[in-house]
Amino acid sequence: MIVIAILIGCILGAIIGINAPVIPYTYSTFLAIAVVAALDSVFGGITSVLKKNFDLTIFITGFFCNSILSIALTYLGQRLNIDIYLAALVVFVGRMFTNLTIIRRYYVEKWVEKRAEKAKKAQEES
Amino acid sequence: MNNKMMISIILGFMCLLLTYGIAIQVKTTNNLGTTTSSNATENKLRDAVLKAKEKYDNLYNDLEEAEKKLEEERANATQNNSELAELESSIQEGNKAAGLSEVTGDGLVITLNDNQKISASSYLGDPNELLVHYTDVIRVVNELKNAGAQAISVNDQRIVSTSSIECVGTVITVNGEKIGMPITIKAIGLQERLINVDRQNGYVMILRENYGIVADVEKKENITIPKYTGVIKFQYAESK
Repeated sequence: MIVIAILIGCILGAIIGINAPVIPYTYSTFLAIAVVAALDSVFGGITSVLKKNFDLTIFITGFFCNSILSIALTYLGQRLNIDIYLAALVVFVGRMFTNLTIIRRYYVEKWVEKRAEKAKKAQEES
Repeated sequence: MNNKMMISIILGFMCLLLTYGIAIQVKTTNNLGTTTSSNATENKLRDAVLKAKEKYDNLYNDLEEAEKKLEEERANATQNNSELAELESSIQEGNKAAGLSEVTGDGLVITLNDNQKISASSYLGDPNELLVHYTDVIRVVNELKNAGAQAISVNDQRIVSTSSIECVGTVITVNGEKIGMPITIKAIGLQERLINVDRQNGYVMILRENYGIVADVEKKENITIPKYTGVIKFQYAESK
């Protein structure tokens, strides 16, 4: 159910996005950083589901707050003539890698366990 | 169940937002045709250029709208006054001569392009002979002027009294704007006279026959030549 909803959302978003008008280049930096922040939130959400401490409210607020905050920081950086968005980028992408590691470990461990069980069963049968 | 459904709807909506953002971003960068270079300074400079260009385009659109409004207002104001209407028509005549209004008419379209048959690497002579140079463009434009062309454009850049045709490294600029190959020169005038540009031993024919450069001359009806997009300002020259 959830997977289906996510798939439908992704496909719909892509279709709408392809048909939507192009945004001015001046603002494309803001959108880029917001997208990265949102992606980070999504990976964080998946990790928390695996860890079984997923909270929908925290997930949603994180998704929007991170995006908005990163946009605000980028704007502030432009005013101050310093690339603050680089700092946000490092944090978000760094966190994305950490979360990906956790997700990968979870599934690899599961897979190894399953294989060990199968081998045990085969041994018992023979 | 109800709770699960809400979660899935919210997640689906968030994924929608995410992919929407990504799609727009990809489209925007694709549209500009920019590739990120590994050189940070280069990236910054390109960024600045793109932003400045966008700003210029926006301002130019504003200007065009304002001009349209001005024209409408002028037309309204001069409607019931014959003296003002005369002045108005003289303004329009002046604009036409100065290249500040779009014009249509019959004329000639000349297409210039580099030699397509011989590649520069296999050519034993001077490879410069295979290319269209800014001097070629200038000579063709001059010949058109001599043949009585009343409006000339090079790749949609109107040739006016302050126009320049220059060579900037590997590209040609007209009115300070880069133009690429093929070069399309449009001219409005009396077709029978304009066609003399393509006369025996004329420059266009020499380009074509001796250097193998693509130089197509074509008579065409209803050519539209755009107006000059720059600003003509006579600060120092005063008429007496």
